[in-house]
Amino acid sequence: MKRFAVVLLALCLAGALWAQDKVTLKMGDPHPDRVNGWGAVIEQINAEFKAANPGVDIVTESYPDQPYQQKIKIYATAKQLPDVFKYWSFSTLLKPLVDGGFVTALNKADFAQYGYVPGSLESNVWDGKLYGIPVSADFWVVYYNKQLFKDAGVSVPTTVEDLEALAPKFKAKGIIPMVTDGKDAWPLSITYDVLCERVNGDFSRQQAALDRKAKFTDPDFVEGARQYQKFIQSGLFQEDLTVSDYGASRNLFGQGKAAMYVMGPWEMGLATDSNFSDSFRANVDVFKFPVLKNGKGRTDDLEAWFGGNYVISSTSKNQNLDLKYLQYYAKRFPALAWEKGAAFPAQKVEPRATDTPVAKTLLKILADAKKTSGTTTIDRSTPQFKEDHQNFIRELSSGLITPEQFCAKLDASAQTASEQK
Amino acid sequence: MKGLFGNEKVSAALVLPGLLVIVFSLVVPIGFSAYYSLTDWAGFGKFHSVGFQNYRQILTTDAVFWRSLMNAFILMAVTIFIQNPVAFAVAAVLSHITEKLSRIFRTVFFVPAVLSLVVVAKLWVGIFNPTYGILNKVLIAVGLKSIAVSWLSNPHTALGAVIWIIIWQGFGWALLFYYTGLMTVPREIEEATRVDGAGWLQAYLRVIIPFMFPVISAVLVIDVISCLKQMEMIFLSTEGGPGMLTQFVSVYLYQKAFSAGQYGYGNALSVLFVIVAVGITLVVQRLLRRNDDVQ
Repeated sequence: MKRFAVVLLALCLAGALWAQDKVTLKMGDPHPDRVNGWGAVIEQINAEFKAANPGVDIVTESYPDQPYQQKIKIYATAKQLPDVFKYWSFSTLLKPLVDGGFVTALNKADFAQYGYVPGSLESNVWDGKLYGIPVSADFWVVYYNKQLFKDAGVSVPTTVEDLEALAPKFKAKGIIPMVTDGKDAWPLSITYDVLCERVNGDFSRQQAALDRKAKFTDPDFVEGARQYQKFIQSGLFQEDLTVSDYGASRNLFGQGKAAMYVMGPWEMGLATDSNFSDSFRANVDVFKFPVLKNGKGRTDDLEAWFGGNYVISSTSKNQNLDLKYLQYYAKRFPALAWEKGAAFPAQKVEPRATDTPVAKTLLKILADAKKTSGTTTIDRSTPQFKEDHQNFIRELSSGLITPEQFCAKLDASAQTASEQK
Repeated sequence: MKGLFGNEKVSAALVLPGLLVIVFSLVVPIGFSAYYSLTDWAGFGKFHSVGFQNYRQILTTDAVFWRSLMNAFILMAVTIFIQNPVAFAVAAVLSHITEKLSRIFRTVFFVPAVLSLVVVAKLWVGIFNPTYGILNKVLIAVGLKSIAVSWLSNPHTALGAVIWIIIWQGFGWALLFYYTGLMTVPREIEEATRVDGAGWLQAYLRVIIPFMFPVISAVLVIDVISCLKQMEMIFLSTEGGPGMLTQFVSVYLYQKAFSAGQYGYGNALSVLFVIVAVGITLVVQRLLRRNDDVQ
């Protein structure tokens, strides 16, 4: 009995020592699907990192975007943030964490060798310090179904006016010309950003208006709003645009009921999505957002930003290990994400012979870009400004307010936001 | 045993667990809410006291709050003056037909009430869809293309469409309450009224409805509360749009707190909402009680 007790004690001690040696990295991300797409890429990176670092365990919490954001806010309040977590680099999301001292500042030089696209690291810089590594490059493009274009006898438009002229042609064939997620409104706000740039040829105007060095009631913004309303009223979009959510609009396009889909490169997986027909997958491609005939914006002026990024919690006890993980992530993510079609990396990727036409065109669109916008307007100010922008654009889309009223409301909201800063 | 329950300490000990649950699940959160409503808290991090600024802003300049309240009153009016009378009339008919037939109809009418809110919302969003929804397809088929609109996003029809969905789902409950109430009315009373020469309308107006007043009161109070706290159906169908035309207070305060990051303001909205809801419920109860006394 005594011998048994001694053995048991020894085992317990060994277990305790082993447990002490084992370091657990707590992580968080908004990718609950760990088998497909981005979640699968993270799982592979985690598995490789654990294999290369014996004694390290990784525990991840994943939720869809909105619940995840709430969870992070609650964890921040309770000072229990995960060691490493993915978060959006926007002023509406990451900035409050930076201001509250919840995230660790990084050294840019630690990530210099990982081929980041110019400007991408800068999107995570606040007060001159880098607060996270970007993971995806996002930009605004138009996906289209080549077969439906052929059936309607139309070609890819290069001007907004030509694009609007396609509406009756597709409708005559019983096809919805264009879809997007209008219920969540951010795609509408981004489209307004693009149209403003197509009017004034200047991506910096929005920031100037937010900084109160310009006004949203200035003629170029009002003209942008007029163009936006004309764009909507031309009948291009699905009739229930403002209540049509992400899944519904994506499905309309994927099921061949809509000819075009305005969205970002994260939808490059449409070309390999087994939920849609072979015919659709073989015919999906993408084109640059057209220009206005009399506008100053150019086709290669790209509304592009760097959204998701990884940060380290300032309360983490494993800062060195966290940094090591981020560097490993930065090293492995682009190739893995490109291979699985999970995301459009914010780092240089090598094109492959097996890339889909969509992937090839997206690469070209980014390579062709002469200038980029940086973070979209809705994510450059306060959360309230973002909410207001989205509400006002819904009202403009529904014809409840005029372009002039839209701009006046937006300017009042920007004024309130600037006073709160 | 009687002595045991007569002991004040024993009674207090038995009440205490329940009391603690209520205090920590209701009183404390409302207290916190009231506290944060006086701040500019963004959900985390530092915050400052702003006094009654949030309340002032809501009551004096926030048109969306008033719009949300008005929508709740419109829904309440439709529920009380249209849904309830129709449900009562249907229940009255069902109480006079054969049990077998009545059971079939009761089941049919009650099906929407047992469906999940998400299912009902998705079902009607699909029916109202202007592209593939069955409603517009039927309207076009019978030559009414001119009124085939985008029901949930058209500013003229959105509120009506949303109210229809809510009423459609709630109808089964109202019917169930009234049918059960009518079943408790002794047949002799109705028969005696008829023998005394009263027609069916008089029998209902003068005898059966007064007899059922406690049931009607309970249904009305439940309806008022349910209309005021309406959230899920709005969130799942229009999220308050187009513009803010179908906005309700619960959705609005959720958006303010969780989307706009204005937890202080959202908490002020929730405190005002509690005051309005409790106030209206008390007024309705008082009115119904007075009516009951008169009856």
